[in-house]
Amino acid sequence: MEKPERLIVDGKRLDGRAPDELRPLKIKAGVLKRADGSAYVELGRNKILAAVYGPREMHPRHLQQPDTAVLRCRYNMAPFSVEERKRPGPDRRSVEISKVAREALEPVVFLELYPRAAIDVFIEVLQADAGTRTTGITAAAVALADAGIPMRDLVAAVAVGKVDDTIVLDLTSEEDQWGTTDMPVAIMPRKKLITLLQMDGHFTGEEFKQALALAFKGCEQIYEAQKLALKERYSVKHEEER
Amino acid sequence: MLHVQNRELVVPGQLLAEGGYVIRQGAFREGDRIYSSVVGLADLHGQEIRVIPLQGRYIPKRGDIVIGVVIDTHYSGWILDLNSPYVGNLFVSDLLRRKVDLLREDITKYLDIGDVVVAQVKEVDELMRVQLEAGEPGLGKVEGGKLVEIVPAKIPRVIGRKGSMLNTLQSVSGCRLKVGQNGRVMIWGEDQRMVNAVVEALLTIEREAHTSGLTDRVRAMLEKLKSEGGK
Amino acid sequence: MMYEIVSTVKRDYIVDLARQGKRVDGRALDQYREISVDKNFVEPAEGSALVKLGNTQVLVGVKLERVEPFPDEPSSGVLIVNAELLPLASPTFEPGPPDENAIELARVVDRGIRESKAIDLEKLGIKPGEEVWAVFVDIHVLDHDGNLIDASALGAISALWSMKPPDVEDWKLPEFPISKKPVAVTIAKVNERLMVDPCLDEENVMEARVTITTTEDGSICAIQKGGVGCFTLEELERAYELARAKAGELRKFVG
Repeated sequence: MEKPERLIVDGKRLDGRAPDELRPLKIKAGVLKRADGSAYVELGRNKILAAVYGPREMHPRHLQQPDTAVLRCRYNMAPFSVEERKRPGPDRRSVEISKVAREALEPVVFLELYPRAAIDVFIEVLQADAGTRTTGITAAAVALADAGIPMRDLVAAVAVGKVDDTIVLDLTSEEDQWGTTDMPVAIMPRKKLITLLQMDGHFTGEEFKQALALAFKGCEQIYEAQKLALKERYSVKHEEER
Repeated sequence: MLHVQNRELVVPGQLLAEGGYVIRQGAFREGDRIYSSVVGLADLHGQEIRVIPLQGRYIPKRGDIVIGVVIDTHYSGWILDLNSPYVGNLFVSDLLRRKVDLLREDITKYLDIGDVVVAQVKEVDELMRVQLEAGEPGLGKVEGGKLVEIVPAKIPRVIGRKGSMLNTLQSVSGCRLKVGQNGRVMIWGEDQRMVNAVVEALLTIEREAHTSGLTDRVRAMLEKLKSEGGK
Repeated sequence: MMYEIVSTVKRDYIVDLARQGKRVDGRALDQYREISVDKNFVEPAEGSALVKLGNTQVLVGVKLERVEPFPDEPSSGVLIVNAELLPLASPTFEPGPPDENAIELARVVDRGIRESKAIDLEKLGIKPGEEVWAVFVDIHVLDHDGNLIDASALGAISALWSMKPPDVEDWKLPEFPISKKPVAVTIAKVNERLMVDPCLDEENVMEARVTITTTEDGSICAIQKGGVGCFTLEELERAYELARAKAGELRKFVG
């Protein structure tokens, strides 16, 4: 596809959204049987599955911490999740994302309650359309809560960016590709603390502030959806649903 | 001041109360405010606040009755899997309640890998090393029966207030049960159908633990399966 | 791979039930768990299917890529099957390159498709000697509750039958050249009894298993025996009859 002349026409983006609108969001908690906690999130065309095992025995033993659990995170993309098949296995991008995702989630988990144990978070991207790391973090936070792991708050995440000199919320892959700036953000909504922040592209100081404010707004909505998904998981349904 | 109602379903980070309440479980304090740390049911009694978790691994604590599976032997005892991030250690002397000449006896004749044991948690240290004992009556190696695993957080519901649910399960089905705090339940019964009925009942309790009227529904379910003569 | 702990109590219980011709979850010996196949689950894949077999869940995606042909088959397309036993699917799966179980799974699914000639690879050349289409079948195991082979094979063939041709100039065919529906049926041996579609508990105590892949006319295109136990000749003959019958039932889900 060639770069379109304009990415925003009459205040509408390529997919019809306003600059401050999220793509359609769907979150379901408790979707896997074996994992201790799990969550499935669809954001636009993203389809992401997160699972948590833990706290569980930590191997190798020499990496155990005597007074705290260790949080480990693995972000992985399915070969068929993107247009051009991705070879299975971690690449440099996945390794970096795994690290920043872990650092986004760690501040909320009460790791000190589980000495010597490990809490493993797995993020699997089944279908990708930009914003997979933030959607993955959103899913992982729900999966952690679903596993019964004590947390200070959930973590909600979204990407903001700039296309056609307009600050926009929740970029699609076209906007990511043809726009000037991409900034994923993760926050602890209750205390408005930022736990993940990355950026590439160009922002003036003023644009940066606007973008952060927009990210917070987007995360608030995601936060509500996360809480709802957890509550729905435990509401009694009369017909068995699975 | 309370911000939630008793038995309300809460999520991590949700504001429960402000003020000098005492936190028993599943919540934490930031300054004057108390928040939930888990997904669970708010339980408010007087000045006490707790959130009863609906999920979560089992963490051993002293006094708990647990059902373990032997996964390793060592010179003077065994290591048991407790369906927990932490394994339990059982010394020979804590099973047999007598001194054993380890040079003469092969302890695997008492317990070997794969054996199921009902034990009590004797001690847990700060590094979460767990000592078990299994010599008292009612404890020790398990023979026969069916082992079921459910979410440990739902075990209190399997026992019920003053043992009411457990009584119902045993009396209606005619089976004998042993319940471990670590989410494992042993069922013994002459009638295989009733053993399976109890399994169904346990899975129902696991699914609907946080609802009311559960004991009556479980009783009705068991009576029905009993009269139906199996599935 | 870490091993599941199976208590002697659980093992005895399952083995004892088998002696009576019964199973842990109340199924008949020749009964499959509930099956659902959700096709075209992921868009970037030319074909895909999410298979649920009881609590087991497997997502299979098929993508077409251009590659150089093998020197001895210059105008033939290439089939590559890969399986990932994702660590999120089981506490016993560790991250890393495919282990022997993942590789066996991929190769058994591959054999079923390749040996049945379900895909007409000859039609997948682009420029003879230079470029051909590769059919990448990627098996993504999401939740392991036993019988990953049948779920993966069903997912693979369903995904292949749901293929949307790529929107490119050098795709000349009216549709994807698939003509057969090979279906794998796995039979486990527990205490001398044969049972289809073992769940995880049954897999952990079974003596052995055999997977038989058949096509619509009942002919066999692949067999794989697994596990350290043994089968008698008579058991294998019975297994074939079972596999043939059940394959017919499963084939309906391929669409």
